[in-house]
Amino acid sequence: MPPSLKMNAVAFISPQNHPIMIRTFSENEEGAIKYHYIAHTSLDIIDERVGAKLTDCYLGLLYSMEDVAVYGYVTPLKVKIILALALTDAVVKDTEVITIFKALHMAYYGAISNPFLALESSTSTIDQRTYILAGSPKWKGFRRQVDTISRMVGGG
Amino acid sequence: MNSYPPELLVQLAPVMFVAGLDVPQQLTDADGTTKPLDAFQVLIVRLREALANQRKVEIWQADKSKTFQVILVDNSVRFPPRKLVLPDDPQYSNAHSPLSPLTPTSPLFPDGLIAPIWIRKHTTLVPSVLVMFMRIYELPTHILRNPEDGPESERERTEEERRRDTELATEISQRKKSTNERGVKLTVVLVASRRLLDDPRLDTRLGYIRRQSGLDSRAALFVLSPVSASELNDFVESLQQALYEPALEYYTAHSKRVRRKRNRHSQSTPSYTNPALALANPNIARPLRPEGWTVRYEYKMACFAEFRGEDEVALKHYQDAYSALIIMFGSTAILPPRTKRWAEAKVLADCINIKIVKLYLYNNEHALALSHHNAHLRQFNDLSRGWGIGEETFEFWSWVARQYRILGELIDQGTRSGLTIPSHQPVGAAQNPAQSAARAAMGLAELDAVRSLGLNPSHALQHSGYYYYMAAKCTDIRRERFLAAVEAEKNNQTILSPGFANEKRVDHLSLVLELYTKAYELFKKYSKPSQGQASRLTLLIACRIAETYYTSGKYDMAIRFFERIAKTYRKEGWYTMLRPLLSTWHSCAKRIEDVNSSIKLLLEMMGHDLQEGEDPEGLQDNLLAILQDTVPFSTDDVVVFDLEDALPIFQTSVVFWEPEVDVSQPDSFQLSLKAPKRITVESIPFVSLEIYFSGISRPVVVRHDDSNAPPTASVNRIHIGDVVTGMEHPGTTGNLRWALGTTLVIMGTLMSDTPSQLSVDKIVLNLEQHAWKVRLQYLPLTTAFNQFVQPRWLSSLNPPRFIPIKRADYSTAIVNHRPHRLQVSINHNSPAYLNEDYGLEIQVTNTDDQELNIVADVLLQPSDIDYAINSISVDDKSSTGLIKDISFGRLVPGASASKVLHSFSAGATGDRILDVSVTSSVPDDSGDEVLGQDDREEEDEEPESPTNLNKTAHQRTVVIPTVRPFDVSENVVYARTRRELPRLGDISTFDSDDSNSRGQHEAYVNVKFTCCGPWDIYIESATVELEKHVPHVKLLDCSANLEDNNLYPAEYLPGDEFSISCRLALMKADDSRSEDQPIPSPGHMVISWRRILPDGTHSKLSTTKSSLPILQPPLDDLIALLDVPPTAILHQPLTLTITVRNNNPTRSANVTVQLDPDATDAFVVAGLRAGRVTILLPGSEEKITWKLIPLDCGYVKLPRIKILDRRKVAQTATDEVQGGDGGFAGEPVKIVDLRRDVRQRVSIQDGGEGSSVEHDSGTELGTVLILPS
Repeated sequence: MPPSLKMNAVAFISPQNHPIMIRTFSENEEGAIKYHYIAHTSLDIIDERVGAKLTDCYLGLLYSMEDVAVYGYVTPLKVKIILALALTDAVVKDTEVITIFKALHMAYYGAISNPFLALESSTSTIDQRTYILAGSPKWKGFRRQVDTISRMVGGG
Repeated sequence: MNSYPPELLVQLAPVMFVAGLDVPQQLTDADGTTKPLDAFQVLIVRLREALANQRKVEIWQADKSKTFQVILVDNSVRFPPRKLVLPDDPQYSNAHSPLSPLTPTSPLFPDGLIAPIWIRKHTTLVPSVLVMFMRIYELPTHILRNPEDGPESERERTEEERRRDTELATEISQRKKSTNERGVKLTVVLVASRRLLDDPRLDTRLGYIRRQSGLDSRAALFVLSPVSASELNDFVESLQQALYEPALEYYTAHSKRVRRKRNRHSQSTPSYTNPALALANPNIARPLRPEGWTVRYEYKMACFAEFRGEDEVALKHYQDAYSALIIMFGSTAILPPRTKRWAEAKVLADCINIKIVKLYLYNNEHALALSHHNAHLRQFNDLSRGWGIGEETFEFWSWVARQYRILGELIDQGTRSGLTIPSHQPVGAAQNPAQSAARAAMGLAELDAVRSLGLNPSHALQHSGYYYYMAAKCTDIRRERFLAAVEAEKNNQTILSPGFANEKRVDHLSLVLELYTKAYELFKKYSKPSQGQASRLTLLIACRIAETYYTSGKYDMAIRFFERIAKTYRKEGWYTMLRPLLSTWHSCAKRIEDVNSSIKLLLEMMGHDLQEGEDPEGLQDNLLAILQDTVPFSTDDVVVFDLEDALPIFQTSVVFWEPEVDVSQPDSFQLSLKAPKRITVESIPFVSLEIYFSGISRPVVVRHDDSNAPPTASVNRIHIGDVVTGMEHPGTTGNLRWALGTTLVIMGTLMSDTPSQLSVDKIVLNLEQHAWKVRLQYLPLTTAFNQFVQPRWLSSLNPPRFIPIKRADYSTAIVNHRPHRLQVSINHNSPAYLNEDYGLEIQVTNTDDQELNIVADVLLQPSDIDYAINSISVDDKSSTGLIKDISFGRLVPGASASKVLHSFSAGATGDRILDVSVTSSVPDDSGDEVLGQDDREEEDEEPESPTNLNKTAHQRTVVIPTVRPFDVSENVVYARTRRELPRLGDISTFDSDDSNSRGQHEAYVNVKFTCCGPWDIYIESATVELEKHVPHVKLLDCSANLEDNNLYPAEYLPGDEFSISCRLALMKADDSRSEDQPIPSPGHMVISWRRILPDGTHSKLSTTKSSLPILQPPLDDLIALLDVPPTAILHQPLTLTITVRNNNPTRSANVTVQLDPDATDAFVVAGLRAGRVTILLPGSEEKITWKLIPLDCGYVKLPRIKILDRRKVAQTATDEVQGGDGGFAGEPVKIVDLRRDVRQRVSIQDGGEGSSVEHDSGTELGTVLILPS
């Protein structure tokens, strides 16, 4: 039985490359800023892979640096989900990572389906800003759900 | 890589010594001119060049071609002695190599493992092959050419040659002795002139030299003459090819020797010294341990395998050597830490690790390579902890950095010579050729494993930039640890580390910078070239570089980087990363006393969230201090802060109440500025606020007014009154101070007298203190992406209440022209009839107070009804789609104009849809109408913004239901012609113009028209038109053409019916067309009609064409046509005629006629009673006549007449003669009463199917009415 994965951080990035939400789970003193950097730099590789030819949402390992392995996922509407896993010397099954991504994707869907988001937004249609609003600290449900996913992953 | 001995890292290749190629001396003549090199000297120079280029000493050398490492040596080269004692010494067999740990003078004595010098011995001092270039003796040419010499001198010459050859052979054999001692292959290349090559005696001479010198028979003697450079390369290549095998043998021999020694060694019992004793006296020299010998032998075998190019074998031995080394490191007794041997062993382990990684990478086994590298790091991490140089020491991090750096350098070298970095895209996603190549190299089993298991991220090979980055990071940590150590030293703690003094001399920062820069370059190289901007990965590294510059005090360099990085971070809204960057940048600016930048950065930082542990008033205090304490370069200078993407201090939003207003109608607006919640900006000395509205060049200025008490409410308000475009606003005053989280709302109205868009272009906040003037420019909408401000309208100040604005473009309002007042009506009488010219009247009335130019466009929408044909026309324009620019001319107020639009619909009923758009514009008085038209066309090409066109468009959609004017039903009956068939020989049969004579059938077509529409119809005429291309049909007569016909013209009301009949003669087809094929519709009924409009007038003439039905006359074979008058007078004779007609196209008929008088018959018959008709040829007929005298009155039946076709009987009789009925006289022929001859299809309603059966009413013979005389 391989050791369970540990999620260090999750980042949701809008199609225009603005951060929607970056959630970190590590107690490291470097903290959040490091994962902001990681999320931001991942966009390069995501752009490259998506540009080539997108056949699948799952983009695989983007890179590993320092103590994290960074994985990427692009939703059909081009919202990017970036997952930073703690780097261990163990094989990470793609299927497991895809499962995590799907759960995160669903959490995001849940968040943007929030009818109260439309109230916040100036227009009746859901636009890009609404997507970004979904990540605002005001909406705790999304955060809670992402945290739950992280706990589930960490707990095996 | 420079930190390791290069000998331990380079790729080994067979070594070839080449002697006898000394650089020729430029000979100078007596008169001082340099002589040009002769052919042989040129050859030598070229040979040196060609040989030296064979192989470069490199670490990454995956190329497996058979090339040697060539070293040019002196002719008198000597090999180092094998052992210290001479071979003839009795101690020889016990003695060891000078480098052996067993030799006391060796640098490895007594317990060294392996020294770089050993490798150097094999790469530079001992070759596997020695190639000697020598000149074979040749007589000078002038001696040879002397023809007068007798045989005497010939013999002399031969002897001279023999003598010289013997000398050469002796020299070679001496050389051979020394090479044999080492097992080195000796090859001699004799250089001779081209002339000598042709000499027949050359072979003898060469054989002699070989024998005399004892050279091998194979690949030991070559002859070379001066040749061109390319041929020389061929020679060098073939020389290497020939010598490669012996070279391999040489290294194999070495391997075998070492393996023997290792085996011998492992069998001998290891003599353990007491570890405790060893620990107690670490300085006492102890011999090398068995583990050490294992390392030594395995390493040597690995090297020899590498020389041979056997990578797998080398890898295996290196791994064995490595694991043995790890065992040694595991015990401090075997390798006491921090000794010289320990350090050497560590270097050796690192180098072996690199060799293993490299060999894996040669084979594209990236995962294994990285796995080994990671294992190496982990192994020594554990070991280091035991040695007291764990993660908390700078030594450890220096070592880790070195490992990453060397890995980076290796991959760097590798990628330059063919190593491909795999893309880690999931399997099944986009596959590029490189990836599949890598996969092919992986092997099937491994590939399957990867698919099912995924990837170990730490084993994923990435480009070297990542490893340089890691090295830089580690060096950074090393620096931290070092600084901690320095700190500790200051606190009078003793630093135990022996390397501390050295470490103090290291310039950590420049080291870090170098590594980061290297990584930066590589990331730049690997980032997609298509991206114009620097990629984000490089920005991260640039950020680290900038931080390092900052730490090392190069503030200006740091600022240069910060400027670049901040741009992208601002643009993409990554404020979390931007904020610490700004802080550092600000520190830099402070250090180099760039006051302007400091001010700008402080202002920018105020827009960000408060950082953790930061003083809310810190930024403001800093700013005020700067403004207080410094002076600008010149008092006229204004510091302008106008970063477009920067976060503004105040959350700003502009809301217009009405989204659209008419010209000269004011629109209320509110501009709100909300101060940050957690950062104090209360004391910033704003003196004025300028609001720039679009279309107004001068801003509206709100000046700060101290007289009012500072605002305490959470929302404050300043009225600026009405702002009108084109008029100067006097400005106003108000309190421009914001407490934490308060909002200032500036409200007023904005009015424009031209159509335009109302918006706020920018807001400028001016702050002044002492000599400082700072201008902050903001766009009113720049807010952080994640701090979206909901637009709202302040409706009440106390308590503050807001109305949310639910509009996307709340920050702009559009000023439109007032729409023109215009009345458009479209009059028409629907529904329309098919085929009718349907008129619609478009009437436009100008109800505005100005003169208007009216133009209409009409679009006939494409119909989805099948077979529908539609068109519209106005004036002289017609179209099936759009008619543009129907001009109604200029209309003065109150005037109206109208146009009649004609719509024509045919084909099918259904709704037709018209879009009518009437556009009014104010006429341009400067030009005439034609010019106006041209203007319009120009506008089409380059449309102006709709707000600027003073036009109003009225859109109307008209639905025209279209119905058919008549319901048409038709009925067809067929009759046989009474006309006599032409005789067979009749010449008129073939007359084309009298073709009616051949008509066999007549069709009576009766078409009934029902006026089903809602409108009265005035029918002008009705005719039958036959198509010319249907030659078999001829119109005999028609009810519409009757002479006394006064039916048309006539008015018909809805529900009225009328019918038109016509009689058509159907000809027999001339061609062999099948008779039973139907005749296509032969023509139309054409009705010309006008609709009677409600006012009693008639509309335009319309025609409706109704196709005649398809004709399908029934076919006859042999038929008898009975003709008798319908009435007769008692006792007066009447004629009964029977025409027997053979319609069969091919067969003649044999017919008998029999009239059976009966007692009850009401007639007396005169004529044939029984007889045979002459044989009827196809298409001929025979007439038989009887005279009947009626005897009774009333409806009487005709006498019975039997007509039999004997031909058929004859046929059946021959067919079935045995079973035949002898009494049967023939088949009865159908007798048709011509008076009742009507055939039509009668539909049968059973089973729901519309099947029909043919009904021939003529076969029921009628009666004759006999009247009394």
